Amino acid sequence: MENERLLQFEKPSFFTRLKGMLGVDFYRLFHTPLFYIFIAIAAFIPALVLMGGAQGENAMYTNAWQIIAADSPLYVVRNMGEYANMNMVFIFGGIMVSIFIGHDYQSGYVKQLFTTHAKKQDYMLSKTLLGAFSMLCMCVTYMIGGMISGAAAGLSFKVNVGSLLCAILGKMIMSIGWASLYTFINVIFRRKFGISIALCFVLGTGIPVIGAAALVGNSAALNIFLYGSSVYACLSANFISVLVCLACSVVWAAIYNILGTIVLYRRDVY
Amino acid sequence: MNAIEIRNLHKNFGEKRAVDGLDMTVPEGAIYGFIGENGSGKSTTEKLICGLIQPSGGEIKLFGKEHTDMEARGRIGVLIEAPGCFPNMTVWNNMKLQAANLGIKNEDEEIRRVLHLVRMDGAANNKFKNCSLGMRQRIGIAFALLGNPKLLILDEPINGLDADGMRIMREILVDLTQNHGCTALISSHILGELEKIATHYGIIRGGKMLKEMTAEELAADCPTYIYLKAAYTDRAFAACRQAFARAEFDEEKGEIRIYDKTSAEEAASRLYNDFGIAVTELGTAKISLEEYYIDLMKEGE
Repeated sequence: MENERLLQFEKPSFFTRLKGMLGVDFYRLFHTPLFYIFIAIAAFIPALVLMGGAQGENAMYTNAWQIIAADSPLYVVRNMGEYANMNMVFIFGGIMVSIFIGHDYQSGYVKQLFTTHAKKQDYMLSKTLLGAFSMLCMCVTYMIGGMISGAAAGLSFKVNVGSLLCAILGKMIMSIGWASLYTFINVIFRRKFGISIALCFVLGTGIPVIGAAALVGNSAALNIFLYGSSVYACLSANFISVLVCLACSVVWAAIYNILGTIVLYRRDVY
Repeated sequence: MNAIEIRNLHKNFGEKRAVDGLDMTVPEGAIYGFIGENGSGKSTTEKLICGLIQPSGGEIKLFGKEHTDMEARGRIGVLIEAPGCFPNMTVWNNMKLQAANLGIKNEDEEIRRVLHLVRMDGAANNKFKNCSLGMRQRIGIAFALLGNPKLLILDEPINGLDADGMRIMREILVDLTQNHGCTALISSHILGELEKIATHYGIIRGGKMLKEMTAEELAADCPTYIYLKAAYTDRAFAACRQAFARAEFDEEKGEIRIYDKTSAEEAASRLYNDFGIAVTELGTAKISLEEYYIDLMKEGE
């Protein structure tokens, strides 16, 4: 009994644990060149896309904001201009998240982490928030890059500001859902992050949803998927679109976080 | 209270049984030497205790609580295989990350303390990838010591350490267990080093605990013997058998061992006076942990 009294272990709260883990993850994020490389890539994507076809009769874009979002929510892609917009950030975000989490496993950091009082659900949540933040930053640099490229290409900037803001906000909100998906994929494949990168790339490009759209047509039902809602945040978006993005992103984030936590609990960590 | 209590622990990797019904008791304050051949299940057991891998069956308790209990887990310092550090970060930054994960408040002070303990103060600003094997091992020990753990689980902690490193390691462990109420579970193949500090032993084979004992019990099982060499080993051996009829003998590479309480000098004089055997080399020694372990392994074969 005396021994039991002596052994007073501290019980850190959820917020204390999460704060510690987020602190570590963000410290690492800001100290890795990977993060800066990816936000720089995001800034250059619009310029690279515009170089492919901004001018002439077959121009991909007629308006600079089309670089950010398509005019309408089209899941059936007819031309590159409808496809190549801020959604591309989610492809690169997937690669970044995969490299980041893969490094956790490769260096043995997770081994060190999970021998402490860290909980598996904290890990999922921390990585989701980190991934979402990274993609958010990439969205911002993409937007700046898009505006500069659009101006350089002499494109029109006429737009419904409300819809534009809803589109940007909607896409940014989708970062949370995408980040949770990528985190989930990575806790499955762990050190084999080459597979994670490939899978994140395939899902990030929206190929499965585009494929489904080819079968079912331009159905709003596709908005239940991450790519669907990302497309839904377009230049004709409104407040409802933002709510759809929010619901889709949060629900998928919850699902992937729960699934990821189960995987981490049931499988050997290292 | 026991720091670690394991009952009927199993871990299967597919068809392979890595840990097969293991029972283990590590009393609080002990330095528990965990010994076994390669692939006997030592590291797997340690990973199971730390919660890095999931048991297929059985029970693990840390300080009377489930091993998954967050409070108990927060007081464990672990070094398994190698420290989990980011190679491009400095030692200091890697330690800051672990300190943050542990929720240590005065982290700078604590990092300085543990780095000083393992005499690695000067390496704090080195990138981890530039550290030698011995340095990495010391850093790994410093990692395990962060936050004053109540239980240390160290897998081969002295591998790659130089003589000074081994001495420091011994001093740290003895100080922590004797003066700070810490318990240490150490697996190692360097049995000579383990023998200097361990208070308890567990010998594992094929995922099963072959024997658990205290250092005192080991000492009782490892008798003192007289060893001698003579010009004609066969004649000397026969003479020994006659002179010490009740004793047990061994002979290896010309060295005769007599397990008897007679003094070495008396044995030599009896052999010379009664049998005319001149002893060329003489002394007394004790069965070492290594010899004991090897014999135990041979018995099981």
